[in-house]
Amino acid sequence: MTFQGPPVNSMSLDFLTEFAISMEKLELDKSCRGVILTSGLPKIFSAGLDITEMYGKGPEHAAVFWRAVQEMWLKLYGSNMVTIAAINGSSPAGGCLMALSCDYRIMADNPRYSIGLNETLLGIVAPFWFMDTMNNTIGNRETEKALQLGLLYSTSDALKAGLVDELVPEEKVLTTATEAMAKWLSIPDHSRQITKSMMRKQTIDKLSSNRETDVNYFVKFITKDSIQKSLGMYLAMLKKRKA
Amino acid sequence: MASVLRHSAKFTSGISSSLAACARNGTACAFPCHAFRHRNSSTSSKIRVDLDSSTGVAVMTLQGPPVNSMCMDFLTDFAISMEKLELDKNCRGLILTSAVPKVFSAGLDIMEMYGKGPEHATVFWRAVQEMWFKLYSSNMVTIAAVNGSSPAGGCLLALSSDYRIMADNPRYVIGLNEAQVGIVAPFWLKDNMVQTLGHRQTEKSLQLAQLYSAPDALKIGLVDKLVPEEKVLSTATETMAKWFSIPDHSRQITKSMMRKQTIDKFLSNRETDINNFANFVTKDSIQKSLGTYLAKLKKKKA
Repeated sequence: MTFQGPPVNSMSLDFLTEFAISMEKLELDKSCRGVILTSGLPKIFSAGLDITEMYGKGPEHAAVFWRAVQEMWLKLYGSNMVTIAAINGSSPAGGCLMALSCDYRIMADNPRYSIGLNETLLGIVAPFWFMDTMNNTIGNRETEKALQLGLLYSTSDALKAGLVDELVPEEKVLTTATEAMAKWLSIPDHSRQITKSMMRKQTIDKLSSNRETDVNYFVKFITKDSIQKSLGMYLAMLKKRKA
Repeated sequence: MASVLRHSAKFTSGISSSLAACARNGTACAFPCHAFRHRNSSTSSKIRVDLDSSTGVAVMTLQGPPVNSMCMDFLTDFAISMEKLELDKNCRGLILTSAVPKVFSAGLDIMEMYGKGPEHATVFWRAVQEMWFKLYSSNMVTIAAVNGSSPAGGCLLALSSDYRIMADNPRYVIGLNEAQVGIVAPFWLKDNMVQTLGHRQTEKSLQLAQLYSAPDALKIGLVDKLVPEEKVLSTATETMAKWFSIPDHSRQITKSMMRKQTIDKFLSNRETDINNFANFVTKDSIQKSLGTYLAKLKKKKA
């Protein structure tokens, strides 16, 4: 699955809808046992959630959008397929979430790339299921620190912390993912799948049994004047940087 | 006292506070220049708080020689100070450190648990819980500037903080060594340690009552950074500036979401925990353990 939404593969409502449909098709396709996620854009895996979907759009749209974000994570994190993130560019916020939800993460060994959940820097807060996914990957202490600081890890730090599993030269990311996939596919599907779903059940149930509460919480939070102001300032800052 | 510290392998909680007569050691009381006055008891103040309103950083210095042990007076002062700082809009962060050489804090004052009976045990334990709870659930950025050895209760202060910087001195140790003394780390402290070190490391650490040298503490993630001793406080201040660059509200909500489960578990079980402690610590066998331990300390000092 190649993300090809310039300039930064941001996760708009369109992206999330396409993602969910694709995942569903692949999940139902008996001949599909694994999916590799990668980017078709230089330097960026995905810049994360499209802020313009959350800014100045009102509560109904916020609810629709958030449900789609939840759906993306539930489908990816709960997938029966082997999922490998071939991270060939920077991957903040939502991009990091997609990577974290996979079974395995290979990143390009490029010092200019970074990866992490940096929501607090924008004045917003990563939802509990983002926290859980990160916690399941790098442990509680590291997650508490990373999330409070909105830490964007360099590739070497990401490897050290266990945020990614492997660092390889950029041109080798996809081939390494394919090789890793072969290894994972050599395990009998049913036992691997049951194992994965047992390990991920608690985290998934925590959201799936509380989706609407989570949506309401998000809508209430994101439509606050202070938060909208934060987002506005952030978007203005991005515009400035671009110019 | 120094001889006891040298035997750091046997360094255990509540060390010497009984010997120090924690209540009456005649240390000069240092009132901070522009900070508030905390409770002025008949004893010297064991905690000094300096709040710099311009930077928003409060430094809480433990100053209860010989080992900053946590007696009732200390715990009461601590709770009052924390409450004041938490309510003070000018205060965004707290650094904990020690003015006593070689020791951050030796932990709970064993004399508060020995020969005192169940009512006192109840009052004392509630105060211990409160210390941890106020620090663990604080909205402020909390940094432990661990400039000395830090067993048991001292380790509690460090663990409940957001970030831990320790002096790079292999003779300083830190860890939860309650089991060595014959007592048990409470479940909420165990939870705090699990969150910091992970399950396996905690299970081993608590059962073996492990005290880690500063370098080992860094290796296992019990502390986040080691720096030369003279740089501990300045590093804490620099780190604080970095944490302050994050918008308060999003950092605070994130912190409280991450700590919510542990806090809720604590709150819904704190009375049971107090009863358990009172029953446990007043057992003849435990009292005997504590008595033996105190005698051992006296011997070491002599």
